[in-house]
Amino acid sequence: MDTMMQYAWLVPLFPLIAFAIILSFGRQLKEGAAYISILFTGASLLLSLLTFWERFKDGAQDYVFSMTWLKVGDYVIPAGFEINQLNAMMLVIVTTVSLLVQIYSRGYMHGDSRFPVFYQYLALFTFAMLGLVISPNLLQVYIFWELVGACSFLLVGYYFFKPQAKAAAKKAFIVTRIGDVGLFIAICLLFWQTGSFAFEDIFTAVENGKVEPAIITLSAILIFVGAAGKSGQFPLHTWLPDAMEGPTPVSALIHAATMVAAGVYLVAASFPLFIASPEALNVVAYVGGFTAIFAATIGITQRDIKRVLAYSTVSQLGFMMMALGVAGAAGYVAGTFHLMTHAFFKALLFLAAGSVIHAVHTQDVFQMGGLSKRMPITSFVFLIGCLAIAGVPPFSGFWSKEEILAAIFSQGRFDLLIIAMLAAFCTAFYMFRLYYLTFKGEATTEATKKAHESPSTMTLPMLILAVLAIIAGFINLPNNPILGNWLMSGTVGQYIMERYTEEAGHGGVWLQVTAVVISLLGIGLAYLMYGKKSVSSDIISEQVPWLYRLSYRKYYIDEIYDVVFVRSFRGLGHLLSLFDRYVVGGIGFLVGWTARAIGGVNSRLQTGQLQMFGLVVLMGLVILVVSLTTLGGVPYGQ
Amino acid sequence: MDVHISSYLLVALILFCVGLFGALTKRNAIVVLLSIELMLNAVNINLVAFSKYGVNAAISGQIFTLFTMTVAAAEVAVGIAILISLYRNRDTVNVDEMDQLKD
Amino acid sequence: MSASYLVFFLLGLLTIGGAVFMINFKRVVHMVIAVGVSFLSIAGLFVLLGAEFVAISQILVYSGAISILMLFGIMLTKHDASEEGSKSKGRVWLTFLGVAALFVVIFTGIQNTNWSAIPVKENTSSLSNVKEIGIEVFTKYVIPFELVSVLLLVALVGAIVMAKKEEE
Repeated sequence: MDTMMQYAWLVPLFPLIAFAIILSFGRQLKEGAAYISILFTGASLLLSLLTFWERFKDGAQDYVFSMTWLKVGDYVIPAGFEINQLNAMMLVIVTTVSLLVQIYSRGYMHGDSRFPVFYQYLALFTFAMLGLVISPNLLQVYIFWELVGACSFLLVGYYFFKPQAKAAAKKAFIVTRIGDVGLFIAICLLFWQTGSFAFEDIFTAVENGKVEPAIITLSAILIFVGAAGKSGQFPLHTWLPDAMEGPTPVSALIHAATMVAAGVYLVAASFPLFIASPEALNVVAYVGGFTAIFAATIGITQRDIKRVLAYSTVSQLGFMMMALGVAGAAGYVAGTFHLMTHAFFKALLFLAAGSVIHAVHTQDVFQMGGLSKRMPITSFVFLIGCLAIAGVPPFSGFWSKEEILAAIFSQGRFDLLIIAMLAAFCTAFYMFRLYYLTFKGEATTEATKKAHESPSTMTLPMLILAVLAIIAGFINLPNNPILGNWLMSGTVGQYIMERYTEEAGHGGVWLQVTAVVISLLGIGLAYLMYGKKSVSSDIISEQVPWLYRLSYRKYYIDEIYDVVFVRSFRGLGHLLSLFDRYVVGGIGFLVGWTARAIGGVNSRLQTGQLQMFGLVVLMGLVILVVSLTTLGGVPYGQ
Repeated sequence: MDVHISSYLLVALILFCVGLFGALTKRNAIVVLLSIELMLNAVNINLVAFSKYGVNAAISGQIFTLFTMTVAAAEVAVGIAILISLYRNRDTVNVDEMDQLKD
Repeated sequence: MSASYLVFFLLGLLTIGGAVFMINFKRVVHMVIAVGVSFLSIAGLFVLLGAEFVAISQILVYSGAISILMLFGIMLTKHDASEEGSKSKGRVWLTFLGVAALFVVIFTGIQNTNWSAIPVKENTSSLSNVKEIGIEVFTKYVIPFELVSVLLLVALVGAIVMAKKEEE
């Protein structure tokens, strides 16, 4: 069988080669490092497109390549790669966004003193992310999972000379680590129960009832904990907005399109496990739903353009989780579909935001305004991104969001449906608030007045993404769900279809109309407040200031964590440090003191006076002679 | 009947003990050297006594004594030389102050 | 109670007395004189034991050379050197106890030895003591003898090197 899939392992390898080259010759390459990275990522994109096309055209069987990696006793731990519907799609998304972001970064990072290092990190991240996607077993997933986390840490802390960036990098690493521990425990549990790390084996074992239901639920929830850490789901979302301290292309690539979607991908990839446990699915659904509305309400009041986008990312990831959580084939398709469209339009929004920041050197939206005349392309693509995320037809966000709403509706989960609609309303509102504040109105500062359009290396990727943000939705139209049918034709899809016999239902026209009306309401309100300014934008903050403050301060989550975790652990740390100082240290001191005391006595004996030595020798002689004679050592007198 | 050997040994023992006591307690280095000479002499008495009354009475004992004397003479000569040198450097012959071994 | 007993008793008393006086005298010069008496008495003891040559050597080496050397030593260091301000009492007593214990142990050993079981062989050589020593030294002990002469030479050179004033 000669297929492109056989060579899919090359996809992550190319960025790794780029990484190695830049690592070795970064100093000599200087800004040429960008071309190396772009070239190799382009090769990856080409290869993943071919792979995707082959699968899409033929609907071929999943391709699994496996070889023995470790042999521990009777256990054989394999390593390899797997190509199925889901990760073929992910490969394309990751390589596309990565390539565009790398092209964009050439303009954005121009003149940076650590330019090759930046590309080195980007290449390493791309490798790790692609490796994560094609991993056939949980162990490999975990390895790459940690690797993307490490890359995220490095890139968030890229401006390590800024204290906030350093703190944000640490926070990103530590908070996601909490989730990673959950994932690790889940992997251990599953290995203990099934004796394998491979997705296939685990699914088979679960299907055959070899795993206790309680263990299934527990491990599924723990996997979700790991996914929540990476995908910024409540209560582990706090790192994601702070991670905006990194360079904007990084935010676009890692914290919008790829790595944060890895959590969603993980849940989707291990979906058969979740299906076996309704409780776990409920947890996913409600945490996702809560995160969606929760983050959306915070996004309304933020002043930092990137933070608004970050909260919007959190909210959208909540949407995906909710879609997966309500389960059913429709939920699965909707979740992954939204993952794809979101990757494009959110990357677009971030890149556009980066373009604005590049021009005006501030991130505060209230210091922008009137930029649409000076930066027409950026303004235009940002508007497309906003329309897409707000869910206005025919942009891609509409189709995927409508799909999610339909899936929720078809499962009869009206509580979640209301949450989703509220969140959609908020999303539309804050995205257009952002748009009006940034691009419309009058320029408020000198920097804004002097702003000019970004170079073509930055606008070109944005334009490509804008096109993708428009057309990506057509891949899965309600009456012609190409993507859905294709996804369902895969092994995992088949499995889901068996469990959920009902058709991927659609709520009919009225649901679509409602969704659009809600979006338009949000846009309209934003227009009235920030575009036409006929409604005072201070209406809420003046009437119910506590509500405004609650949202502006992000529900005080960071403060609560500070009190509950940081302070309490610091208190515990103090206690332990006291224990360490007085008990452990005391023992240590006692040991040292004893040794010193013995040494002191000995050194007092070592007076250096010959006569003292002589006395000691005499005593020794007497004792020796006495003991020898009395104990019968030497017979004498016979 | 001559004087019994144990009498000579007793005298030698007392002499040895007095010499030992002096060597360990006296502060003047010259006195310490003298005490050591006493101890050597005590040994000499033993050697000569055994050369007359020993199990294998032989002239060897007396020859050993002569060797001991020679060595003792050499020892005293070098010892006094060391003392003079030390005195020149440290202005003392007090044994208690000679504690460089400590370092 | 033969004459030899009397002589032995007298010489033994002088030997030990000289030693004890040496310990108790305050001035170092007195000590040297006391120890000289002790050395001379020991020479007498050697005569009593039939070792005339050793006795003469004793007088020459100890009472003559060594005592005089000591006096030179005193002269060259502290002229009025004396034993003053003794050591801490505790250590002196400890030393005394140690020495006394050694004395008791060895004394017990001497007393408990069954001397009558040992056949006393009187030295029945027909040769004179000096001749006997001469034959032994130059036959059986000729190598140690030569080595001792080398030792004396080394000691002589060493003593001169040590004692001479260091050149600046």
